[in-house]
Amino acid sequence: MKLRTALAVTVATAALSGAATAETYKIGITQNNVGVDSYQTTYEKAFIAAAEANANVETVVLDAGGDVARQIAQMEDLIQQEVDAIIIWPTNGEAVIPAVRKAQQAGIPVIVTNSNIAEQGFDFVASFSGPDNITQGARSAEIMCEKFTEMGIQDEAQIVQISGQPGYTTAIERAKGFEDRLPEVCPNVTLMETQPGDWNREKSQKVMEAFLVKYDDIDGVYAGDDNMGVGALNAAKAAGREGIIFVGATNFAVGYEAMERGEYWGSIYQSPVDDAEAALQTAIDVLDGKDVPFLNYFDTPKITQDNMGDFTKPVF
Amino acid sequence: MQPGTLSSFLKRGAIWGFILLELIFFTVAGEFLSLSDKAFMDVDNMLLLFKQSAPIGIIAMGMTIIMINGNIDLSVGATYAISAIVLLDSLTWPIFGSLGDWVIPVSWALALLTGVVLGALNGLIVWKTGVDAFIVTLGSMLGYRGLVFMYNGEQPTSHLNWTLVDFAEAQFLGLHTATWFLLVVTAAISFLMNRTVHGRNAYAIGDNREAAVNAGIRVGPHMMINFMIIGFLAALSAVVFYSESGSVNPNDGSLYELWVITAVVLGGTKLTGGAGSILSTFGGVLAIQLLRKGLAHIGADTETVNLVIGLILIAVLFLDRQLNIKGKEELKI
Repeated sequence: MKLRTALAVTVATAALSGAATAETYKIGITQNNVGVDSYQTTYEKAFIAAAEANANVETVVLDAGGDVARQIAQMEDLIQQEVDAIIIWPTNGEAVIPAVRKAQQAGIPVIVTNSNIAEQGFDFVASFSGPDNITQGARSAEIMCEKFTEMGIQDEAQIVQISGQPGYTTAIERAKGFEDRLPEVCPNVTLMETQPGDWNREKSQKVMEAFLVKYDDIDGVYAGDDNMGVGALNAAKAAGREGIIFVGATNFAVGYEAMERGEYWGSIYQSPVDDAEAALQTAIDVLDGKDVPFLNYFDTPKITQDNMGDFTKPVF
Repeated sequence: MQPGTLSSFLKRGAIWGFILLELIFFTVAGEFLSLSDKAFMDVDNMLLLFKQSAPIGIIAMGMTIIMINGNIDLSVGATYAISAIVLLDSLTWPIFGSLGDWVIPVSWALALLTGVVLGALNGLIVWKTGVDAFIVTLGSMLGYRGLVFMYNGEQPTSHLNWTLVDFAEAQFLGLHTATWFLLVVTAAISFLMNRTVHGRNAYAIGDNREAAVNAGIRVGPHMMINFMIIGFLAALSAVVFYSESGSVNPNDGSLYELWVITAVVLGGTKLTGGAGSILSTFGGVLAIQLLRKGLAHIGADTETVNLVIGLILIAVLFLDRQLNIKGKEELKI
């Protein structure tokens, strides 16, 4: 009985949404802080371009300017304007939860983009669209292992890790993805030590200086992003230590340039354009009534010195 | 007609005329430029306007007294952030663990007390050292913000209490909780300024401090009380806002002092002190929020909003100056 009701509802929803596709969807987005870095600026441009290319979508593009109060006000405004769906890039993963709940109670599906909100708010969110930090970490492990295998040191290599700021989900997940995957692909590579670099290049340089003093033989360095990876690279260059393989978990312009110079081996390519397009597509799919996974990741491919020609230099 | 009657009438009415102008403009422009099918003047939208004005508005009432006094307080944004941290953090302190949801009023009281103490500290320094309030509160703005970062580093301080959120989201007689706080504060401070000795003294001190001293007003303690009031109101603003949001970033409330001062100045309070009205400040707060809301409604981005508000502020000050000069007929241009 229950199943039949559920089926009937699904069919009715499908019919309704089928009818709705003829009209246009009105989608509102409130972003974190456009203009604070070029990732977010490029994201906004790509989002607007993607929306304009789609005749069935009208968008209200808002920017919270990093201000939680303003973002909450924008959520309220979008609810009041009765948009069909809201995309939010949270300024603070917890502060926006009540506002997200308000939207959900008003019957407006909320899609979180780029960085997820805290778990307490998951019940009020239709889907999360963004990069998968676990996969990014795992792929970094693969990049490093492939390079060691190519060099023939996959059975003896010793590496160190410089992680992101402690407490940040992104940092924890990128470390976990790497640490879980590495023993699967290269069981004999030893991860000697992990220290936080706090997403900061100077801090990472100091951490690496300490590593270089402590360990005579370092074959590889894994960093939570290229900013920290390049910090570590600078320390190694200053100490005159060569032959170390540097791999990051997110490709930045500094990392890309170091790769061009042949000093840095590889990273994971995360494009703000893909990020923005994925968010819009997720919102459309949710409105179409499609079955969208709760964690809807977009692809972040590997980039190394070998294939970097396929990618343009990151804008951030 | 007395010289100056027309100009003072113009000045008092100006902010409300400006609000009317904004409403008309955004209603008309909204028809063409907005994606929303709903009118800008929609009742729900206007109710939201009041609610969203509350955080800045509550502090602006305190700032009006301070500025009528001839002082200024730049530390309100940092006080706001510290009070928010005290509010959210004290909700989880183990000593209150047995209170259940009764911890909420305790946390409110602690947050408000924090605001009063920080305000009193500002006032005490201004009173005892005689250093200009601008410098003193510039220092405390940096100092208090430092405390915020010392407390939890770069990390946000969070605690989500749904009872609290439900209370803050409630609507009584159609108005949101935050709106009620804003209205009550406006009424209370308006009463204070117009009907009490303390309020009248504030004008006297701002107009001519020496004369006020000669008339026997104890200027130092008076100013300290005003700093305690604005500290209290900054904390109250945090209490109202964070009851609904449950997480504070360490840089929350930065630049609030500037928005607050902008609202007060738009409302016609003189930077030199001695003149100003609470009701006009209320108008100034609404005017800013209307601009923010309206420009977003017609699709302008955040930077444009700031630019427009800045330009309007300068235009208002210029107009004010011209009206003053012509009213007094002191100078011919």
